[in-house]
Amino acid sequence: MLDTFFFYAFALLTLGGGILTVTRRNAVHSAMWLIVSLAGAAGLYLLQGAEFLFAVQIVLYVGGIMVLFLFVIMLVNLDEAAKMRQFNKQWWVALACVSGVGALVAYFLRQGAGAFRLARPPQGAPILEGNTERIADVLFSEYLLPFEIASVLLLVAIVGSVLMAKRKV
Amino acid sequence: MTLLNLCLALPVAGFLLILAIPKENHRAIRTAALAVSLLVFGLSLGLAVRFDTSLPAYQFVTNVPWIASPAIRYHVGIDGLSLWLVILSTLLTPVGVLVSWRYIDRRVKEFYALLILMESGLIGVFVALDLFLFYVFWEVSLIPMYFLIGVWGHERRIYAAVKFFLFTMAGSVLMLAAIIYLYTQAATFDYPAILSLVAEGRLRFSPLEETLLFLGFFLAFAIKVPLFPLHTWLPDAHVEAPTAGSVILASVMLKMGTYGLLRFSLPLFPSASREHAPWIAVLAIIGIIYGALVAMVQPNMKKLVAYSSVSHLGFVVLGIFSFTQLGLDGAVYQMLNHGISTGALFVLVGFLYERRHSLEIADYGGVATPAPNLAVVFMITTLASIGLPVLNNFVGEYLVLQGTAQVNFRWTVFAAIGIILSACYMLWLYQRAFFGAAPEPVRAHVHDLSPREWSAILPLVVLMVWMGTATQTFLPPIGAANARILEHTRQNVEFHVKQRPPGAASAEVARAR
Amino acid sequence: MSQYYTTTDHFVLVPALMLALFGCAVLLFEVLVFPHPRQRKWLLLFVLLGLAFAGAGVWRQQNFLASQGIEELTAFGGTLTVDGFAIFFNWIFLAASLIVTLISYRYLEVEGEHHGEYYGLILLANCGMFFLATGTDLITLFIGLELMALCFYILVGFLREDRRSNEAALKYLLLGAFSSGFLVYGFSVLYGLAGSTKLRAVADALASREPWDPVVFLALATTAVGLLFKISAVPFHMWAPDAYEGAPTTVTAYLSVGSKAASFALLLRVFLMPLGAAREVWEPLLAAVAVATMTVGNLAAVTQTNIKRLLAYSSISHAGYILLGLIAGNETGIKGVLVYILVYTFMNLGAFLVVVALRRKDLLGEDLDDLAGLVYKSPGYAILMLIFLLSLAGIPPTAGFIAKYYIFLALIETRHYVLAVIGTLYVAVAIYYYFRIVRSMFLAPLADTGPLTTSFGLRLALVVTGVLTLGIGIYPEPFLGFAQTSLAR
Repeated sequence: MLDTFFFYAFALLTLGGGILTVTRRNAVHSAMWLIVSLAGAAGLYLLQGAEFLFAVQIVLYVGGIMVLFLFVIMLVNLDEAAKMRQFNKQWWVALACVSGVGALVAYFLRQGAGAFRLARPPQGAPILEGNTERIADVLFSEYLLPFEIASVLLLVAIVGSVLMAKRKV
Repeated sequence: MTLLNLCLALPVAGFLLILAIPKENHRAIRTAALAVSLLVFGLSLGLAVRFDTSLPAYQFVTNVPWIASPAIRYHVGIDGLSLWLVILSTLLTPVGVLVSWRYIDRRVKEFYALLILMESGLIGVFVALDLFLFYVFWEVSLIPMYFLIGVWGHERRIYAAVKFFLFTMAGSVLMLAAIIYLYTQAATFDYPAILSLVAEGRLRFSPLEETLLFLGFFLAFAIKVPLFPLHTWLPDAHVEAPTAGSVILASVMLKMGTYGLLRFSLPLFPSASREHAPWIAVLAIIGIIYGALVAMVQPNMKKLVAYSSVSHLGFVVLGIFSFTQLGLDGAVYQMLNHGISTGALFVLVGFLYERRHSLEIADYGGVATPAPNLAVVFMITTLASIGLPVLNNFVGEYLVLQGTAQVNFRWTVFAAIGIILSACYMLWLYQRAFFGAAPEPVRAHVHDLSPREWSAILPLVVLMVWMGTATQTFLPPIGAANARILEHTRQNVEFHVKQRPPGAASAEVARAR
Repeated sequence: MSQYYTTTDHFVLVPALMLALFGCAVLLFEVLVFPHPRQRKWLLLFVLLGLAFAGAGVWRQQNFLASQGIEELTAFGGTLTVDGFAIFFNWIFLAASLIVTLISYRYLEVEGEHHGEYYGLILLANCGMFFLATGTDLITLFIGLELMALCFYILVGFLREDRRSNEAALKYLLLGAFSSGFLVYGFSVLYGLAGSTKLRAVADALASREPWDPVVFLALATTAVGLLFKISAVPFHMWAPDAYEGAPTTVTAYLSVGSKAASFALLLRVFLMPLGAAREVWEPLLAAVAVATMTVGNLAAVTQTNIKRLLAYSSISHAGYILLGLIAGNETGIKGVLVYILVYTFMNLGAFLVVVALRRKDLLGEDLDDLAGLVYKSPGYAILMLIFLLSLAGIPPTAGFIAKYYIFLALIETRHYVLAVIGTLYVAVAIYYYFRIVRSMFLAPLADTGPLTTSFGLRLALVVTGVLTLGIGIYPEPFLGFAQTSLAR
């Protein structure tokens, strides 16, 4: 019962934060609401017993990335940005898409969890070690390769940002 | 390497040869082009000599695989129908080279290279026996013509070239779809194989299928012919093209359409062809009369000749869709005649243009005085074109009219009007351009035929007389081929018995009693 | 899994390793060993070496498969699968990278933005493409896609002083990230359905469900949105004309063939293997998308006056044709898709090569009028461009005709007559706008007498693409055989 309550609470935070992020005009407000949304997602992770993901979400996204975001937002001239032409005139299209997805979700809710027939976790044996160990185990065995590719990806991102930002290469 | 393959390969070799000559050396380029085209012509005459009319099958056949899966083969061969069309192509290419000798003075190398390359594509269309190969040649021959019109044409050349290209392409892409559909049904692109499947009844189409396939092919061919109302590209293309382009376009390229109708549409889709014959014949007759009427009011010589082509080709289509031996023979003969006489007309108009630099009839007059020989040759060609007995068109038109009379006499009557009209516009043109007082520019610039010009026009004039008198040189192979085509159109035809209103039937019964 | 990195794993990974290694090496060496602008040509050598090593790796894989007579070789517990399909695409990527590298040197000098990072990014993008063609695991595929996309975001914005380039990069980045979101959402639903990220397991899980299952539909729709964006299919094509126009022309060339081919590899993998069970659902959807793509691509191209934009719309329409092959879906159709992509790579690269040659210090060289009378100035370039355009339009005897022919053949075999007729009719439209370029080159008077920007690499690349475009058209047999052997899955 308590689980259900928390689930809805966090889900509300995530969704509400997301909506407010895209609807606020002030960039700082948007960033703050994004933090709320990310924190909601972190809460959902915790409910699932994924404490490692929860920690990563809080530390990296909320603590690291969003703070950097706020720095950047405050460094650039916001008044000018607010006066510039805004490209959010496509309210109706967005609303139609969202209601379409909403209808699909509502349909799922009506069907109940059984209709999904989602796959069971691979091994039925009780999980003894914690979530963190399992992530480590999977990350460095089964997903070793994607993990390594991700490192190349990050390298490219760094090179790109330096290239774009530096005045003279 | 059969003679036929040589005829196909030599122009490509000539194309490469011309490309290898430095572009300043105009004389060498022209000579090389002439030599290659004459050599090909000589070889193609060898085809005629060694062609055995008594054999029913295709001759000079080469059949080797080209693409393995799905099987596409390099399958070429000729029968009596293609034989003369191949020779027509090889004859008119040297004529084209000769008439361009002075006329083309810029980008000479490219011009002759394209002209010679196009010859290969034209021959290929007439000899391909694999549908896929046929389509490839069909398209390949288009591109050089696009450039001949677009680069060396008159003022509105770009518009004309694009219009020509788009019209023809639009028709032929649907033909491609039809060819591929045919392949999926017959599991082969090989034309004789498909034909025997159809003949043996192992390949049958539902009426709807057959109609759609027929229309797919027909549209491509009808645009090329061009059949009224799809003819609008033709006057533009002809007026803007350089002389050699007009000659090849009128004499050979238009025949690709009628050849396709005869070779593919009729035998492959006999029921649909017969079913649609009435309205096609009506369109052909409209084309005959409309073309002639429009030609009559043209102030521009080339446009006049172009519209006369629409009229003449109407006869060919009418003959084809009469489904009689005489009509078909006449149609093929008329294809050749039109190639010779309209080709000659374009050559002569080109000669006049080279002298006076105008295509307007009003700018001429009294040409006969300064250039009597030119006037005589033009007169013979004019008479040939209007179907005077002893000259070639008479034979073809007569056969067509006779053939259609066997089917529907009303068609004959209307088509005959076209012949009368053709006499009107051609003779009127002759009178305005060659008789009367010669204005100053004409007297100053128009001189008589030079030896080069004689050599270009004389073979055509000889052929006009030859084809008008010694028809048996040409007709036997044509007749044999047409007989086979007709044979195919009789096989597997679904006979529709029309439901008559009961009153009419009983009236007939009463009359019979 | 007892051992994390076996010999087989290594054998399969070698091409990607080489690409990544040399990519990083180029980045390093530019700063440490060859800092002087004049030493940059040595970097080129590194790129070529990297491509050669990667090619050797692919070659050895191909030989190994042939000599052992096996169809596929899996590594990393099913994360990577080397089969004929993967090898086929890897050759295309390597060829595209090689050609783009050859032509970039001179072009970047002219643009004044010549940096070693460019070559590093080309190699790393190729590395990402490798994973798109070889990967059979949702996460690997996704990260491979992002690796490639990220490289392209940077490359598109490589002209930092040029406003168009910046704008193009930003637009591409934002829309690309958006579409990635869709894709990853779809992948996560697929994972939820299967409990595994391996494509084979996903395929098994989907095969046991109804095709019209709403959850499957959700996964299908979102995955499709992400993938269709990458191949610039309508209605997810808006980024393509701007990105193509703004990007440096060499990058546009690479983007239009490399990125598109890789995205099609991914699309084929996903739609044929895991989503193959839901074919009856996606077939009408994709058919609608394909028709819309051909319509918008062809009709919008008609009015363009910027060659890069025109080619962008033409590349959109080509995506429509390739989709048609997937919709036909029989063996001919898939073979047709492969042949089409192969042919498209060379003919489209070739067309962009000529545009690259037009760029000069003082001339953008992207307008149709800049081509006017090209044949008087450099007939060789004009004739090659003609061959590429004929091929793009699908006129025999060029390669593009063979490619289109296979697509139409497959459509008619599978009784998609309406699609086949629509496809053939758009060929006629396409001819109109391709011939606007031809008209400009051959029939218009010479407008600009300045010399073209050529280099040995550019001429070499032009000859290679030209010979292939014509050669595949005249004698397609070896290439068709290559595509045929790549079908064995």
